[in-house]
Amino acid sequence: MDTALTTLFLGTTRGAVFALAAMGLVLVWRGAGIVNFAQMGQAMFTTYIASSLIISGHGYWLAFLIALIAGALLGALVDLAIMRPLTRRSHTGILASDSMRATVPVIASLGILGILQSLAGMFWAAEERGFPTPVSDVAVKAFGKTAPFTNFDLFIIIVVALTLVATTLFFTKTGMGLAMRATALNPEVARLSGIRIGRVRTLSWAISGVASSLAGLLITPSANLSPNTLDLILIVGFTAAVVGGLNSLPGSVVGGFILGLLIAIINVYDAPDDVFLALLVFLLVVLILKPSGLFGSKKVRNA
Amino acid sequence: MLEIRNLIASYGRVLAIRDISFTAAAGKITTVIGANGAGKSTLLRVISGLEPATSGSITWQGHSLLNKTPEAIVRLGVAHVPEGHAVIASLTVAENIEMGALFRRRTHKQDVRVAISEMYALFPRLEERRNQLAGTLSGGERQMLAISRALVSRPSLLLLDEPSLGLAPLVVEQIIATIKQLCISTGLSVLLVEQNANTALGVADHGVLLSLGSVVADQPAQLMRADSALRSAYLGY
Repeated sequence: MDTALTTLFLGTTRGAVFALAAMGLVLVWRGAGIVNFAQMGQAMFTTYIASSLIISGHGYWLAFLIALIAGALLGALVDLAIMRPLTRRSHTGILASDSMRATVPVIASLGILGILQSLAGMFWAAEERGFPTPVSDVAVKAFGKTAPFTNFDLFIIIVVALTLVATTLFFTKTGMGLAMRATALNPEVARLSGIRIGRVRTLSWAISGVASSLAGLLITPSANLSPNTLDLILIVGFTAAVVGGLNSLPGSVVGGFILGLLIAIINVYDAPDDVFLALLVFLLVVLILKPSGLFGSKKVRNA
Repeated sequence: MLEIRNLIASYGRVLAIRDISFTAAAGKITTVIGANGAGKSTLLRVISGLEPATSGSITWQGHSLLNKTPEAIVRLGVAHVPEGHAVIASLTVAENIEMGALFRRRTHKQDVRVAISEMYALFPRLEERRNQLAGTLSGGERQMLAISRALVSRPSLLLLDEPSLGLAPLVVEQIIATIKQLCISTGLSVLLVEQNANTALGVADHGVLLSLGSVVADQPAQLMRADSALRSAYLGY
């Protein structure tokens, strides 16, 4: 019974972080039609920024805030400096073919991932370092019993829940949220309606950057920080996004929690070494049996 | 006044518009008719900035529309309703209309609210269905919604592409009558592209007949409607 509860809590907290990572991927996919493999590289980079601030004596919360802002700026920068110039020249040379036009930005994102990891290696990674939590990360004790979760687990769940509520309100209640949905669903009609889709897309990259930066800050305390720490989160986040249908934000969140539980079950009842294999098998099974995911519409690219 | 001079444009690799010149008077309905492939839709897409022009000039009320983005052209008062009832199916009716007014929501807050309620007054069926997804509407209702999405931006020039496509004659009549009424009451100018020449010439003030990307006739709609030689040569009836 205790093991089952532990698994459930572990799965939920991990799932919350995976949901953030998946959401970040879906935002850029819907907004710009690009699977951004650099995403968790960006998150790794901003987590290093936070870590350096903390090591040099600044408080956790300041570092937390600055990492989120850096996430937004880095996301916007990737779009403005690399993705936009790539799509602007879409009728020349190799970019004149449709399939290359879809592929080149994805390759570019892999390149960005490589650059970010090398830069992080140059700046920071003489050795792996730990990353602190803002609240206690030992199991909560109450009424003489040990609970199957820590204060930091509760912190993660609250932060992610607040983020999801804020994102939902933003998309459904604000004009900019409507502009972002319209741009994702039908860019031509959006432009004819006067929506400046270039700016909207940059904003998608920025929000995605914040979500993944947050995911990095929340997951890193459970592992050491190194330029490659977050690679696994990218794969999990991508699988979660595909399970959710890739174009559905609620789907990506549900996908995140499903993956969280799956990984927790394997960790607890099988062996941590099998996680990676299980992930890939799960991804393949979903792609073969239900390629549109649990929540996606059949035609992923269209309204 | 919309003034088009020596316009040349391609659609993909096809030279769709080979030197078109005509003017459309303000406050009037000008219809552009012609067979499939005459370049009608491309013409509207070039005017609204969706496709680039190779050369020539397009001015609306003294503003050049050439080399501007669709986002900028809407702000000059030119609203385009593209072919095929262009609404966003997975947004609600209310969201589709609101979308057309987004760019004015800060500068004209009060007027946006008025404009939205005017759309519901114009097409009461949209108000009944305001919380439904646009994808659940009938073809006629979708066309009404697409037109409302354009009109809510308070354009001075409305570009309408084949509003009759796939709709029952009665519905077409109702939509066209509403547009005509708007022209008379608000001074809206309309450039109406139609395959159905008879309907279009019946409501328009002026007609422009295109064939293979060139203007072959440019005259008052009534005259064009009565010209049986022209009809049989280019419109096949």
